[in-house]
Formats: sequence, structure tokens, C-alpha cells
Amino acid sequence: MRRRKALKIVALAALAPKLDAWGTSACPPGEAWTPSDYQLRFFTAEENELVDQLTEMIIPADPHSPGAHAARVSLFADLMVASSNDAIQKQWRAGLKQMQEEATQSSLAQALAKSALHEGRPATDLERFFAVLKGMTIDGYYTSAIGIHQDLQYQGNTYLSAFPGCTLRVRSAQSGVPSPKSEVS
Amino acid sequence: MSDPRQEFDVCVIGSGAAGGVMAKELCEGGAKVIMLEAGPKVDPSQFLSHKWPYELPYRGLRGEKQAPFHQVSTAIRYENSDQIGVSEVRVVGGRTLHWNAVALRYAARDFRQWSVDGIEEDWPLTYEELAPYYERIEQLIGVCGSDDHLEILPAGKHYLPPIPWRCSEHILHRAAVKMGIPVINVRKAILTVPYDNRPPCHYCGHCMDGCDVSAVFTTPDCLLPKAEITGNFTLRPNTIARELLVDREGLVRAVSVVDRLTKKEEEVKAKLFAVCCATTESARLLLNSQSPQYPSGLANSNGVVGRYLHGHLNDGMDAYLKDFAGVKPFNQDGATDHVYVPRYNHLAGKKDYAGGWGFQVNYASYMFPNQAWRIKGYGAAYKAYVRRVQPGYLMLGTFGKVVARPENRITTDPGHLDEYGTPVPVVHFRFGENDFALWRDSIRSLSEIGANLNAEVFLDFGQAPTGFASHEVGTVRMGKNPKTSVLNGFCQSRDVKNLFVTDGSCFTTSSEKNPTLTIMALSLRAADYIKQQRRRGEL
Repeated sequence: MRRRKALKIVALAALAPKLDAWGTSACPPGEAWTPSDYQLRFFTAEENELVDQLTEMIIPADPHSPGAHAARVSLFADLMVASSNDAIQKQWRAGLKQMQEEATQSSLAQALAKSALHEGRPATDLERFFAVLKGMTIDGYYTSAIGIHQDLQYQGNTYLSAFPGCTLRVRSAQSGVPSPKSEVS
Repeated sequence: MSDPRQEFDVCVIGSGAAGGVMAKELCEGGAKVIMLEAGPKVDPSQFLSHKWPYELPYRGLRGEKQAPFHQVSTAIRYENSDQIGVSEVRVVGGRTLHWNAVALRYAARDFRQWSVDGIEEDWPLTYEELAPYYERIEQLIGVCGSDDHLEILPAGKHYLPPIPWRCSEHILHRAAVKMGIPVINVRKAILTVPYDNRPPCHYCGHCMDGCDVSAVFTTPDCLLPKAEITGNFTLRPNTIARELLVDREGLVRAVSVVDRLTKKEEEVKAKLFAVCCATTESARLLLNSQSPQYPSGLANSNGVVGRYLHGHLNDGMDAYLKDFAGVKPFNQDGATDHVYVPRYNHLAGKKDYAGGWGFQVNYASYMFPNQAWRIKGYGAAYKAYVRRVQPGYLMLGTFGKVVARPENRITTDPGHLDEYGTPVPVVHFRFGENDFALWRDSIRSLSEIGANLNAEVFLDFGQAPTGFASHEVGTVRMGKNPKTSVLNGFCQSRDVKNLFVTDGSCFTTSSEKNPTLTIMALSLRAADYIKQQRRRGEL
């Protein structure tokens, strides 16, 4: 339902944060928000540590790029949860507590695996929390400088004097790309 | 600030696509025009278009990148409504500041829903009557694209060069052609060459977050300067219209306004009023304008104002073309849509429902990997997979017809006032039988297209349609029948002859096409009519 939400954003006037709350240049160009002196707003230090470990397990560092820990996803999560409603805050508090309890009985890796067991059709609170935790990790990591530039190596958001069109030779197009002018009607 | 004693020839309320055209045309015709806009001016330097997500506190989520357009909220409420949203943008330029600029003409059959399909009503004007106005608007705003010789999507004579296609769009075209489905150059009010003293697009992919160079048509960049140069134009931002006031003859004499910043109240007087506040707010303004002559609201003697709210139903799919898996990432941003899939369901004969749908293609950002939300699992393999499929992203968004029905409506609630003391608008909307039938056929067809692509496909269907993607229309409709419409074919109120409503609320019915070009053509036609009537001394 991700894209459905995107369509709706057009009409989400009421949810858009007010500009005057942050100003238009909340941080210097090119510098990540979540400043180095960021103070936790919702998580306790212990909770933040747990979120940091869990998000790194969901999107870990690999030879290609750093992971969620380096991208400071737990601090992004803290800001997002801190500015969410009571129900969401309660779910995080309870979910982290439960994850910690599961980890005490086995290990954090096993607790996370248990929570992810029925992804897409969660039946328990722990499984529902996994969906929330993973979604937050995705949002935080792929909007970070590390996620965008180092992992995905995104090439856009730039000024071009002309759009080049399709310049790739791709397998199914090798026998000739149809002309934009050909049509059926 | 205008002199409160001054009377203008025309007061245009709202500065979006409809109001912009109306003000420019009437100023050029010699009328003294005042334009009221509830919101502030937004300078392009305030746009967040090119900001990286990590430069913003919420990373551009929660609609953050469009925050400059949503500084002034209206306390809208939804009651017993399906999953839809109406747009409220209170800013000089209205929705033209963040529209996707798709500029499509309605087809002849789109004005003749009753004659063609036996539902709804025919419009009080034909395509042939509106065609010259479409042509003038296209040349005024600059539209790229091509004439594809399609009956369902009539073309203009003067398009700017089309935008080159992405690889994924060539592949979509190849798959669609085999299914008898056309894929054509998109027609958008985005400049591909310099035009009207504006530079061309720089293909950053952020058209809907505000275009800092005016390559996308907007009212404040393209129309208001033309109005200003006449010396006949006064713009008043941050001025909220609350109620239209009438004289003894029942004509509108003034609009009661409140200054958004100082909360000061006053009346703005004019000989003629053009209401261009868009579908929700125009209906709200008329319904809130109650007087002894018009106890149920202005122009509402038949009780139709606010009714027939409709718009587009939306769905879509994300696909990841396997040919691109693992390809070195490359810049695909472009100008959001480069191609369009016009309506095609009518080509296969009569359906058991009326209307059709079109697909807009690749208007989502290439920066965020939407598949990350769809792919199961976590860990290193998950991360590598998200990365691997990303270059093959292709998305199709469905925009389908919704039937105009009187029970779907905007009302206002006198017991619930906004911070300016005005009753808030309340939306009541349910999809109907025809909408569901059309929606089911559209998702069947979209699934077939997905199956014909060599791709991993994520369909985006819920249990019911959603809408309106900012395309709501119909609450102050024009029509042939005085019992089921408010306006005549020139957007003029039947009850109050110095009142015109030329935004999307004037639509009799809606097609699958994006409404803005038609809104502008109708507003231009109404402006021509006003000029003619003024010359004859009838207004």
C-alpha cells in the first residue's frame, strides 16, 4: 500500500509539518540531519541501543556499503516515534520490551527471526512489531546519505541540459527498440 | 493593500489554474480585476525540490517536501466516506505550484456521457465548441507531446518536442503493443525547449515539489505577470473569502473577507465575481453565502450546490524489469511521466460499465526504493536484492472515471467553525456500482500487462478503489437541465447572473483524463463570454 499512500500525499495537507516549525534550511546543504549532538526524544539509551542493533540486523553493513548503524537509523526512528501518536509510541515501547525479553531467553538474532516468521500476515504483537521496525529501518536507511549514495548509488537529483532517453543496451531491446512514434489505436 | 472604498470590475477568488486564466484574460480585456488568494505567495527559493531527504528532519516523508504549499490548512472533515482525499492548497498559484502538469484534452465522447453510455448527463457544450480554447491554452502555457491521431485523446496543433523515453518505457511499449494497448508521448505543460521567456526542464524529477526555474507551467510564473503588465491587476494574498454578499436585486455586490495574518475583516466590492477556489472551497463559499434571498446558499435554489462530487479512482503497480537487474545505476529521473497510456478499454467493444481509465507512467521518484517495502525478509541478502532490482523500476498509476452522483457531496457545518469563523466543509463520498465494475476491470487489465512484462511485479490493489489524487470535480456543475445543474455552459450561475464559477467544480461529468487543461479551457471560454457580455452592456 506504499504507493497508495504516495498518491494520497497530494491531499495530506493536514499532516504536512509546518515550515515554520523547522525553517527551510534546517541543516547546511549536504549535511545529514540528525545532527551529531542529537538528544534522544523518545527512546531511553537502552532502547536506542536495542533499536540500533535490530536495525543493523535488518540492513547490515556488507562489502558494498555500510548499514543501518552507520546511517544512524535509530536516531531517525527516535525522532519519528517521538512525533507520532500515543498508540504508535506504545507499540514501540511494548515491542522493544518484548524483543528484549525474547532475546534474554535465546538471542537477539533468534528474537528477530521469531518476529519475522509470518511477515505479511502477522498474528502476534511481536510479529506486528517486526513490520513496524522493518518499515522504519527502510525509511531511515534509504533516505540517509549512506543509503542513497553509497548503497543505491542513486545518480539523479541533478541538473541536465537534455534528457538522454534510453542509452542502455538491454537484453530484450537488442533486436531494436520500438520508435516512440509507432503506435496502436 | 486595496482601498476598501474602491469597486473593481471583477473579483476573481482563487489564484489557481482557473483564476489565473480568468484574471489574465479580463485584465487584458480592460477590466479592473482584483484577485483574492487565501494563502501566501511562495517564492521558488522556499521550494524543497532539490533538497536531499537527509537534509530534512523527517527525510521528506509525511508530505514534508510539499510543506511550502500547505502552510494554511482548512479544517476539512470526512463523514461516511470511502478512502478518498480532496486537495486543499492555499497559496498563490494554487495547485499549479505542485501539479504534475499532465495536459490532456477531453474527447468528444467525454462531453456526451448520456448519449454515448446512457448514464449521467451530456455537458451543455461540445468538444468542437471547446477545441479552440484548448488550442489557445496549450499555446499559452506550452505543452510538450505529439499528435497521436487517437479519437479518445484529441490533439492540438502546436506541441513542443516530446520528452525522450526511458528504457523501461520502450519495454512497456513493446509489451503493450502486443496487447493492443497504446503507449504515447505524454502531453505535459513542461517545457522541452525555451518558450515564453521560460527555460526548459532540467530533468531533476521533482516536478511536484515546485519547479524552481518555471519549466512547469504555474499561474504566478506564467499568467499573473501578464495580468500585472496591463496595469489593471491587483493581487491580495492571505485574504480569505468567507461569504458572498448580495444586493436587493439578488446580485453579488461584495465578498466578505478576513485577512489571514491580521484577522481584519472587510468587504471587497466588484461588479462581477468569478469563483475559482476549486471543488471543495467553491462549494463551501456558495453554501456559506446565505441570505434572505438565498436561504440555502448562493446559486443554490435547486439544492444542487455541493452535490455530484466526484474525481478519479486510483490504483497501480510497481514492476522491476528483469533486464535491468544488476545494471550499474543510472539517472532515470527525467520529468516524471514521459509516456502515457490513454484509455483503451473501448477498443475491445462495449463493456458492462461506462467509462475507462488511463495509466500515468513513472511519476514516482527513482530515489527511494519502493520495493524495499514489498520484498520479504531482512539481512544482507535482502539488502543486496533491493539494490539489485532498483534500476529496473517501472510504475503504472491508474486514473479511472468515477460517476457523478448527487448523494456524493460537500456540505458545510455551521456548528463547526474554522479559525476564521467560517463553517468547515464536510466531504461525503461513496464509490458506486459502476465505479467498482470499472475498477475491477482496470485491475484485471493491469495484472495482464504486468504478466506480459519480464518483471517482478507488485500489484497495489486493495479491497476497494481509492481516489481522487487531487482531481476532484463537480460540486457546482454546469448542465443543460436547470434542475440538476447550477451553471450554464459558460460557467454562469442561473440564479445570479454576475456570478461565474470556472474551476473543476463546474464539470458536469468526469472522464479518465486529468482535469486541469479542461478547467483552463472552460475558464478561458467563460472569460471570452464575460468580455462579450460586458461589451454589450449585459453584465
